Amino acid sequence: MIYDVKLTIDYHYAAEVADAQHALRVSPRSTSNQRILSSRIKIDPKPEEIHREVDFFGNRTDTIALWRAHRSLSVEMRARVEVERPAFDISRSASLGAIADLGLRETSMSPGSPAWYLGPSRRIAPLPALTAYIQEIIGPSRDRSAGEAVLKVTERIKTDFTYLPGATDVGTSVEDAFVARVGVCQDFAHVMISGLRGCGIPAGYVSGFLRTDPPPGQPRLEGADAMHAWVTAWLGPEVGWVDFDPTNGILADTAHIVVAIGRDYADVAPVSGVLVTTGRQMTGHSVDVVPLETEDVAAEIA
Amino acid sequence: MIGPGGVIKPHYRSVVEQLFGLSPAERVQRLQRARQYLSEAGVFHRVYAPTELSEETREWPLSHPALVIDPLEWSELSDGLVQRAEFLEKLAADIYGERRLVRDGILPSALVAQNPEFVHPLADQARPGEPLIRFIAVDLGRGPDGRWWVLGDRTQAPSGAGFVLENRVANQKAFPDIIRKMNVERLAPFFQRFREMLYELAGPDRTRLGLLSPGPHNETYFEHAYLARYLGLLLLEGGDLVVHGDEATVRTVSGFNPIHVLWRRLDSDFVDPLELFEGSRIGTPGLLRAVRAGKLTVVNAIGSGILETPAFLAFQRPMARALLGRDLDLPTVATWWCGQASERAYVEAHRERLQLAPAFPAAHGRSGRVPLPEGSETLLKHESRAVDLKTDGVRWVGREIAALSTAPVLVDESLAPRPVILRAFLCRDSEGWHVMPGGFARVADQRDARVISMQQGGGSIDVWIPSKGQEIRPVTLLSNRTTRFERRIPGALPARAADNLYWLGRYAERCEAAARLLRVYGARVDESSSAGAIEETLLALVRLFGVDADPANPGRGLLSLARQASETASRIRDRFSPDAWRALNEIVGLIMEAKAEDGEVELVGLTSSILTHLSGFAGLVHENMYQFTGWRFMQMGRCLERGFITATVTSRLIPDDDLRDGALEALLEFTDSRVTYRRRYSVDLSRETVLDLAVLDPLNPRSIAFQINTIRATLADLPDQNEAETLDTLTRRVSRLQVRLQTADAEEANQAFITRIAADLSDISNLLTARYLLSAPDGVKEGPAPE
Repeated sequence: MIYDVKLTIDYHYAAEVADAQHALRVSPRSTSNQRILSSRIKIDPKPEEIHREVDFFGNRTDTIALWRAHRSLSVEMRARVEVERPAFDISRSASLGAIADLGLRETSMSPGSPAWYLGPSRRIAPLPALTAYIQEIIGPSRDRSAGEAVLKVTERIKTDFTYLPGATDVGTSVEDAFVARVGVCQDFAHVMISGLRGCGIPAGYVSGFLRTDPPPGQPRLEGADAMHAWVTAWLGPEVGWVDFDPTNGILADTAHIVVAIGRDYADVAPVSGVLVTTGRQMTGHSVDVVPLETEDVAAEIA
Repeated sequence: MIGPGGVIKPHYRSVVEQLFGLSPAERVQRLQRARQYLSEAGVFHRVYAPTELSEETREWPLSHPALVIDPLEWSELSDGLVQRAEFLEKLAADIYGERRLVRDGILPSALVAQNPEFVHPLADQARPGEPLIRFIAVDLGRGPDGRWWVLGDRTQAPSGAGFVLENRVANQKAFPDIIRKMNVERLAPFFQRFREMLYELAGPDRTRLGLLSPGPHNETYFEHAYLARYLGLLLLEGGDLVVHGDEATVRTVSGFNPIHVLWRRLDSDFVDPLELFEGSRIGTPGLLRAVRAGKLTVVNAIGSGILETPAFLAFQRPMARALLGRDLDLPTVATWWCGQASERAYVEAHRERLQLAPAFPAAHGRSGRVPLPEGSETLLKHESRAVDLKTDGVRWVGREIAALSTAPVLVDESLAPRPVILRAFLCRDSEGWHVMPGGFARVADQRDARVISMQQGGGSIDVWIPSKGQEIRPVTLLSNRTTRFERRIPGALPARAADNLYWLGRYAERCEAAARLLRVYGARVDESSSAGAIEETLLALVRLFGVDADPANPGRGLLSLARQASETASRIRDRFSPDAWRALNEIVGLIMEAKAEDGEVELVGLTSSILTHLSGFAGLVHENMYQFTGWRFMQMGRCLERGFITATVTSRLIPDDDLRDGALEALLEFTDSRVTYRRRYSVDLSRETVLDLAVLDPLNPRSIAFQINTIRATLADLPDQNEAETLDTLTRRVSRLQVRLQTADAEEANQAFITRIAADLSDISNLLTARYLLSAPDGVKEGPAPE
């Protein structure tokens, strides 16, 4: 499936801002399931500096500097991406017990190594009550297929938590979201990651996009109007990393387009940065993901 | 140190004999000399209260005598320390390079991958081959058998080296004869070597290096300022640095200057809010990019704090064999990492005998973790019971409790044994690692203490290594025989330092003006029982400064003015003489004492002694401070504030329509011009003559005209002010004001005229701030200002 993706993020500041620096992680990355056909970023006002780098985890990062005074910032990203997620048998994944042992005994230090995704990270501290909640869903058996167990967790979070935009913000802690059983994709992902790690399953945070309008006859996915987030879990050396979307209670499929992968939100925040300002800022944010069907769409984008 | 059978060991005998060869009175006097030096040099340390909201500074706790270490023992210990430093350097190179120790199964991956001190954005920084650590400390304890043990490594930003120097100087003041007789090894060559190494890294331009500090609120800020001054480094905070492209620069009053080497005293996670802890307000966005580009060397490398990981001690033996091909000579405290089943079982079984401690270094910018104060990494018994090793073993180690031997310390006139730990320092230059001959020793304030922490009341002692060799020649960093004498103009002044100096000038002057006004008021209230109109005006003026003239409590406003000045001064202690700093602090003390006494405060007496101290301060600044850019900003601040306040006071005291009794005298007194008036004018006081003297007279150092002339002259010497070029807005404004004052006569100096001067001066302050202190980024030029 080929998509045309458009993301716009706008900031309006109450007072003039100078000396602003931001790290942008908004362009889709290539993965084993995904190929980037084209991508570009437009920024207004034009930054004095743009540094394009690939971070430790393989995510594209554009660091921009705007030294001059400005009252607004707009970022527009357009990309054409091909996504294939071959169907596989989730029961083929290793057992829960095997994964916990393998994770700890892992000796690879490559960016995709499960070792990086087992411990606490900046936004995710161990939380015994949350681990107990996930453990209860998984059950006591160490022989159970990890893939099935993680899928069950994904479905249960969708059932037990209320999706409510505005109930939380980007700074909400895992603990608060867990206690309130409410939040948005970021909270759902953080809760699930924290719990999986507590049970010895390596888990990471994925930020990305969802297809805006579903194929005919299918329900519209939650989180399609803005950047989305889900979970990637390591299911043993044979199956490797598999993406789960707890907000929608499903395995990620070809409707999921990956932008960045990290240990938690702090590693992949779409826009992070430093600026000198007083007063509040207003943010606008929209996403459009359209499957490429006709030639004229291609002409329009190009 | 007491050996078997209570016999004093030979190398200690000399110091003990000499100490007790002194009469008790002389001993007391000599200790007093050391204390006085420390207090005059402004050595203090901050103590954090448990609430974290309040902090106070305490006198530096130096005890005596020094810890004396036998030269043979020291030389063996030094060899072990050098070997350990080489091991740590190789370990850092592996962690930020090949990560072979993990791949070969020697070090569990969790200890790197879950380590909060592993800095991902610099994951491959060791590959170019340069050492990642160049200045480290090792904490040592001595067992009952006299062997030295490694308690921990300090590679992040080891503190204490500056205090070692100050302790030594204080000891020199107290016991110069003993130190000479014992031939105690000097410290300066070690620092000289370290400085040379930094200069070498910086390349041919020796101005491009600095010390990166977390700022004045850090508990070791004093040390940062001291070491920066001692080593000739720029004292920098994160906000002083701006990364342009991939080059780090310092924001100075004359634009952005590249910097190539930073001695980092700031924890890694805080250095770059763009790539590391986003909540850091003391870092520099983009700094990591400059490091990756190879344009900036940070000593020690960002991320080298990972070497402090307590759990690494559990794998030291196989790691040393893999990296060095042999075991390390210095023993470490036996440690078991609870991330492995059998080790965890061992710790569980011996929980009463072992100490439970976090496996990883404390991370600050993370959720769910609280920074631990120094020395408290060890859990108390009841806390350790709450730890569930089964589920959380990865994050814990068990370790043996080190028994510490003692050192003799003077307590109430006799020697008492106190547990001691020694922090040894090492630096690396192109030849290899070198150990500082001495160190920072901390003693507990109780006989039996497991945790030695100055936060909790312990003290420090100097460390003496008597030399076996020939007599030691004095070496100091102030004279360097190998390099030719050259007079260097100091590097460009960081904009933040300039800002602080400017405000110090303003605050000191504001404090003086308030004290002066209060004195004028106090003298009048004392003389007459009924308050007349002029007293009311004076009272209103005093209140403008936030000062209350209530004789029961006049200090309140004055105290906060004096504190403003001394706090501003404390932020730039590296640019300041300790004497001037002390003069300001004494004023704070003076006001606090006056407040503490019961009953009414005698206003005239208090304000007079404040003024005496302030003129002492002004004198020290004028006579002793190097009259370069920094001094000029302070001068500008002083003149601006004085001109502004004099204009305000004049316009209120002498309004156009109404001349109250005593107003002219009060103005003369406020401007300290009574004597001058008598000499200049033989006539009685008149509005014109008084205004002439207070406002227009260019020879009266208290007149407004004098301030403007000084500002104009000082401005010409500021960076990028070229007389031949078109004047910028700032200079134009000052020049116009100057002409107005030069051409006016006393009749014209009415209230409107004077009020306009005050408004002009406040515009000039804003222009100066925009031009130099909030240095505008490149490419942005000041537009024409509406006038």
